[in-house]
Amino acid sequence: MFYLAYLKAELLRRWGKTAIITFGLAIASAIIITIISTSQGLSASQEQVLNPLENVGTDIMVTRSVETEKMGDLDETTRTELMSENRISTDLSKLGKAGESFSLDTFLAGTMLTFASEETKKLTSDLAKEYATGLILNVTHQEGKIPEITAEFQTGPETFQVPDVAPLTDAERAAVDAARQKAMADLQAKGIDPNSDEGRKAVRDAETAAMPERFKNRQFTAPSRTFRQTLDAPETDIKTESYTIAGVDTTKKAIGLILPSQITEGSYFSGNNQVIINLSYAQKKGLKVGSSITLNTTLDSEKVTKKLTIVGIVDPKLYTNTADIYVPLSDLQTIADKAGRINIILIKAPDASSVEETSSKVAGLFAGVNVTDSNDTASQVTGSLVSAASLMNRFIGLVSIIVILASFIIISLITVFSVNKRTQEIGTLKAIGWKNPSIIRQIFLENLVIGIFGAILGVGLGLAAIVLLNQYDITFTANVASSNTGQDFMPFMRRFAESGNDTPTAANLKLDIPFDYLILLLGAAVAILGSVVAGALAAFKASRMKPQEALRQL
Amino acid sequence: MVLIEISNLTKLYKSGRSTIRAVDGLDLIVHKGDFLAIVGPSGSGKSTLLQLLGCLDKPTSGDIKIDDKDITRLNDRKLADLRQKKIGFIFQSFNLIPTLTARQNVEAAIAKRGRNDKTGTLEVLEKVGLAERANQLPSLLSGGEQQRVAIARALINKPEIILADEPTGNLDSQTGKMIFDLLHQLSKSENTTVIVVTHDLSIAGQTDKTYHLKDGKLS
Repeated sequence: MFYLAYLKAELLRRWGKTAIITFGLAIASAIIITIISTSQGLSASQEQVLNPLENVGTDIMVTRSVETEKMGDLDETTRTELMSENRISTDLSKLGKAGESFSLDTFLAGTMLTFASEETKKLTSDLAKEYATGLILNVTHQEGKIPEITAEFQTGPETFQVPDVAPLTDAERAAVDAARQKAMADLQAKGIDPNSDEGRKAVRDAETAAMPERFKNRQFTAPSRTFRQTLDAPETDIKTESYTIAGVDTTKKAIGLILPSQITEGSYFSGNNQVIINLSYAQKKGLKVGSSITLNTTLDSEKVTKKLTIVGIVDPKLYTNTADIYVPLSDLQTIADKAGRINIILIKAPDASSVEETSSKVAGLFAGVNVTDSNDTASQVTGSLVSAASLMNRFIGLVSIIVILASFIIISLITVFSVNKRTQEIGTLKAIGWKNPSIIRQIFLENLVIGIFGAILGVGLGLAAIVLLNQYDITFTANVASSNTGQDFMPFMRRFAESGNDTPTAANLKLDIPFDYLILLLGAAVAILGSVVAGALAAFKASRMKPQEALRQL
Repeated sequence: MVLIEISNLTKLYKSGRSTIRAVDGLDLIVHKGDFLAIVGPSGSGKSTLLQLLGCLDKPTSGDIKIDDKDITRLNDRKLADLRQKKIGFIFQSFNLIPTLTARQNVEAAIAKRGRNDKTGTLEVLEKVGLAERANQLPSLLSGGEQQRVAIARALINKPEIILADEPTGNLDSQTGKMIFDLLHQLSKSENTTVIVVTHDLSIAGQTDKTYHLKDGKLS
């Protein structure tokens, strides 16, 4: 096979040209592989945010959360419940004597109203393959000194002078008597006893009607007075802080608000008085595994203090319903005085394909609940993230096209330029009898082989770039609108909770670029296609060269 | 035996508005085994005649018959076949493929490829006295050696005609003479027609026949 020997000689002996073109194609291929893989990695991360339910083994989520826009549609009972779950009234006088220190935690459901855990009995196995319950509450933590409560007011008794009214004149008295006589006569005519209740009333009405005007309206106005006393505001240093706490159904390991697999440090619950902290909350507060959190509350007028040990740090993936700290459900129900109450059910549908159907069936089971599936949670993610994603996808498409076009143009120029330099060589081959098909095959194959080398090198470089990018811990933050306990809901009712974390849930996602064979193939195809385009142009150029070129003196 | 018969051969070139008659009503008869020279100064139509003789270009009018067959109506493909089988080219600047070894350069010209190509090429290289240098790249060979490789390449298909364009033009006079003698000797031993096109008058006297080209006509 002479043409193979020629091919080999051409590629090896003009190694500089071979190397430049191979490298050019490889770079283009590697760039394509890297940017598309990175985009896929980003998409995968976004998918995690967009479909948070899937992260916790869930298809359907049941809550009684109230949306601000729908408040007007609530019935009276629910409205009252909502009010009480959002109002903090602290009777400082019951916490101790003035000047004493106090610390109080109030647990409220916010807009995620509770329901009896008994309700889950409705979830038969044809509706739920598995389910987990949870209770997510807002904690308002107050601490400081009980202030001196002063200012006492006392008013009354007061005496009012009723102004005199002129007595009846004789004529007026006669008119009243006449009216009475007439009424009595009317009653007798109707056969009604004037001493019966009805009779008396008729007589009295007649008398009243006959009375002069000045007796009918006996109103009087008390003179207006103003009390004025300057009060000092109660001196206090009460600090208020709020965070969210979630009660976790610890009997389920594959479904739930947090899963054992999401623990990044320490361990999952293994006993009582344990707490697991959200990674971002731990960072914000400087909390570590082993340190403790104390909850103080009042149950049946008794002060209760509960000290919890941090056993683990969790990176929760249910972005729409995260909490700052997690405790076992029963512990939270006890301390928050919400025995037997839950406000979220996570359901795994029996069949992945029938999620929507199951979701509507579940909605029919419970009155006044919100049933959410993955389609709905995606729409809860803030618009900016979604638009950023689409913008990035468009950007990546544009960059890919530019890289491909630029590399194709450059490679084609180099290839055509180098074949132009071989004009005499190709002319000579034609002069000694080579025909165009052989010339085209030769030039085309040279480029195809370069393309294959470029593809192999490009895939190698692309893989190296992905490994390198994955090596750097590139994390990014996605903001997800939390449908939690209504952090920014009805602020007027939550006067004390001003320092609350009313920021949206921030999801920290590590960029994990996948190795996808299809993308590697695509990158390889870019290099090969580039060489095919350049080779075709060069081969066409060579086919147009004339055998006379052999005779031209350079 | 008449090998090439050329009658009233004309080739016109348009150069701007004027027409150049590069070859103008030229007649020539070449016999098999002839060793002849066509001598002319530059601009005499030498290159054009060479292109027409070598079937690299087509005439404007007139006939070229090789083996009694008119070649002026042939298409590019048939001309390429004809060049491959019947004509061996030798160029002034040797025109070897720089990336191929001496042997591969010869092999590049083989018309019908087969198993014995390697032995065939070595035999031809032996004839021009370059068998030992068969695996050298042209850049490592001297001018004379390169021209000998070119001669071997021209001989590989046992052509009836060898067309040599200034074969000694890029060589010193001693090497030039050696190459010329080699061509002469091959012409006799292989009974091959050799046509040397040159402006070098000293060559003219050493061939069997010499034609002078002037204004597109032979004398």
